[in-house]
Amino acid sequence: MLKYLVKRIVWMVPLLIGISLISFFIMHLAPGDITTSEASFNPKASEESRQKLRELYSLDKPVIVQYSLWMKRMVTLDFGTSFASHQRPVFWQTKDKDGNVTLGMIQEALPITLLINVLSLILIISVALPLGVISALNQNQLTDRSITLFVFIGFAIPGFWLALMLMYWTGVQHNWLPISGLQSIGHENMNWLAQIADTLKHLALPVFISGITGLAGISLFVRNGMLEVLHQDYITTARSKGLSEKRVIYGHALRNALLPLITIFGLSIPGLIGGSVIAESIFAIPGMGKLFYDAVLMRDFPVIMGILTIGAVLTLIGNLLADVAYAWADPRVRRGVVQ
Amino acid sequence: MMEIKHDQDQLVKLQFIKPAFMKLALIAFFTPLMISACGDSSSSNQIHNKIDYTKNYPPNNGGTLIDAMTGEPSGLIAMIAGESAASAIAGNIFNSLLRYDKNLELTGELVESWDVSNDQKTITFHLKPNLKWADDQPLTSDDVLFTWQKVTDEKTRTPYGSDFKLVTKAETPDANTFRVTYAAPYAPALDTWAGLHILPKHLLKDQDINTTAFARNPVGSHYYKLEKWKNGQFLKLTRNENATQGQAKIGNLLSRIIPDKAAQFLELSADNIDSMGLNPIQYARIFPARPDLNKNIALYKELGNSYTYLGFNLKRKPFDDIRVRQAINYAINKQEIIDGVLLGLGEPVASPYKPGTRWSNPELKPYPYDPNKAKALLKAAGYEDHDGDGILDKDGKPFTFEILTNQNKEREMTGVLIQRRLNEIGIKANIRVLEWASFLGRFIKPKEFDVVLLGWSLSLDPDQYSIWHSSQQAPGQFNFISYSNQRVDKLLEAGRLELNPDKRMKIYHEFSKILLEDSPIVFLSAGYGLTAIHKRVRGISNPAPPAGIGHNTYEWYIPSAYARNEMSEH
Repeated sequence: MLKYLVKRIVWMVPLLIGISLISFFIMHLAPGDITTSEASFNPKASEESRQKLRELYSLDKPVIVQYSLWMKRMVTLDFGTSFASHQRPVFWQTKDKDGNVTLGMIQEALPITLLINVLSLILIISVALPLGVISALNQNQLTDRSITLFVFIGFAIPGFWLALMLMYWTGVQHNWLPISGLQSIGHENMNWLAQIADTLKHLALPVFISGITGLAGISLFVRNGMLEVLHQDYITTARSKGLSEKRVIYGHALRNALLPLITIFGLSIPGLIGGSVIAESIFAIPGMGKLFYDAVLMRDFPVIMGILTIGAVLTLIGNLLADVAYAWADPRVRRGVVQ
Repeated sequence: MMEIKHDQDQLVKLQFIKPAFMKLALIAFFTPLMISACGDSSSSNQIHNKIDYTKNYPPNNGGTLIDAMTGEPSGLIAMIAGESAASAIAGNIFNSLLRYDKNLELTGELVESWDVSNDQKTITFHLKPNLKWADDQPLTSDDVLFTWQKVTDEKTRTPYGSDFKLVTKAETPDANTFRVTYAAPYAPALDTWAGLHILPKHLLKDQDINTTAFARNPVGSHYYKLEKWKNGQFLKLTRNENATQGQAKIGNLLSRIIPDKAAQFLELSADNIDSMGLNPIQYARIFPARPDLNKNIALYKELGNSYTYLGFNLKRKPFDDIRVRQAINYAINKQEIIDGVLLGLGEPVASPYKPGTRWSNPELKPYPYDPNKAKALLKAAGYEDHDGDGILDKDGKPFTFEILTNQNKEREMTGVLIQRRLNEIGIKANIRVLEWASFLGRFIKPKEFDVVLLGWSLSLDPDQYSIWHSSQQAPGQFNFISYSNQRVDKLLEAGRLELNPDKRMKIYHEFSKILLEDSPIVFLSAGYGLTAIHKRVRGISNPAPPAGIGHNTYEWYIPSAYARNEMSEH
């Protein structure tokens, strides 16, 4: 087992280099750089000054040279500073000689996106699990069909539209929830309890929107997993030896039906750091999606590469964790790995 | 694999659900939302609607004005940040030597007066006495010199240095005098000094200006100082007690970052923000239909800072023929574009200058819509429909070209209207929409285009050398349509050497006249800037002077009876 783990981790290094190389080249395939944004198409900004900027950012060098410069910084875990906002470090905070701390861009955006995604994942699981089980137990009856219909509507509904409607209803017509933003303006002056309540109120709609659109996947997964397991021989055996229906379903069927979910969660780890551009724009939440989108529009290469690299690392770790968890949960897989 | 099979079963089964049930469920699900969306909107904001915002109060100090921006500044040193969000905020914090008044005439800001030497090469600025930074340090000509050194420094990452590099000598004879000498008279100099924010030397002299923390924690000299900046959320400015231009009335300016215009609009309707920029649909369609909004919110319009144009690649046939260019100009109905695209919220322009300012030649009128004249001109240029296919041709080749534009809804709609009018006189135009970077890199720089649909700003200084002078045609320069006219070249050169505003005005009136006649571009329209501001904010000039409603924000005030409860702000 240990040997297997070490092997997997060592293999991640060439994989990461490959991913970063491909990302870097694809990024440079797109036309333009930081000096060719629409805002800089300004007669007051001369071509010579733009050329000077290109040299300062090493953008005039061949892509392979730029890549090696980036790699040289990366091996010391230096993600560099953003082109578009000159002074901000991409990943983590820096301190200048006067002791001024400048927070990193990913450092600020990541916790926000993580919080929203974790909350909505909790919401999804806590709603989708019972829905899936109820659906499976009432297969093809009205309950099953209503649930399926409901989750499909949630899946199909345009998130931005639903978001705007709910914002109007809960924010403009009734003063129940704040419309946009992450915190109220007077957030600092509140006590910690009020601060948490304030943040949760601001997050309610974004979490609900991303929850309702993600419900369909997990609940159908659970439903179908349950149905499959319920037709297995060992369930028949359990029933025939006289176990109560409760024990059959929750003790034997559900546990086995949940196994594939491990894979899904493993794969959703990188998704946890990726925010939705549309939701973040509408709700004015400064998360990872907006950060990445703006960086792409501005051709802010250090930020793009920073986010892609962190995403790649998390994807690889997620895969590994999923495999390990699977082996831990399912003896059959464990035996396969050891062999 | 098993799961996938089940999913497919599921989909197949779904189709067998009775349509009636489906419909019922949909109705049940959507009805509450629809009611909430279209229902009785007078129930909203009951608290706010009870306040009568029409009473008159004398000006007073205090209160907070909350507005919304779509983008966040990257820093508050404008010469480095560059984007409009940064200039908007930094403009409240930093002073320049000069400023534009409400009629867009230059006047002193940090300076009391300025003299131009007889040979027009030297400008001497006399600073007002006893100027102070927000941290109580004196603001002197040393700071001005330092700012000039920084903007011209090779190491400074600014695209705006070239104008200031024309200064051959900058000196500070005393603490209140700053003198610059140019190798040759340079008339746009005054405009450039009106755009350069003066930075404090005592805080920046040991810093790398590109990365300094000062950009996020600035100390300036204007009406406001930065109190708090929450990344991605808001910037809060509060009054600067040492303000060089006197005290502003409104106590705090709070700019919230809300990228989505629809969300901004909801915040405005819920009275969580006081001011936002509107688009024509919100201004001309939504507001007239919502009396409850009009009760609390006032709308303002002002001429914007840019115009849209159709530019010809003059290096390509047949656009080198003035008759063809004029014909296309006559064939386009500009009013139709203003009515259709801007919902009437714009003006036709006939020169690259703001109508109503001194640089705009009042005698010039845009080409009227006259398809017959267009046809006659094209006939004179040799274009007729010889083969009867509805498209004009010359030497066996049909008159067809491509209109290039970037991803911009208003420009795309404008292109469609132009396409239709050109089709009517027998010209086949295709529209091609491109993402900005490839538009610039693959088509504009190598000049691989027939016709572009783009915008230029209506500049405050009349100098447009970099756009129209024949020497500015190299790749990456701004005369990418390759306009070349010796008389225009002479006028543009003369205009740069003349610092007397009245003499300069004559030069640029003449320039605009030739430009209109020559028709290297078709001036299409200049849209209005549209702003909604809550009626609690008073002292706003309406109708807006040429400089726009923002020219006197320091005189705006919020009567204390109308000030919002600071803690309840979302």
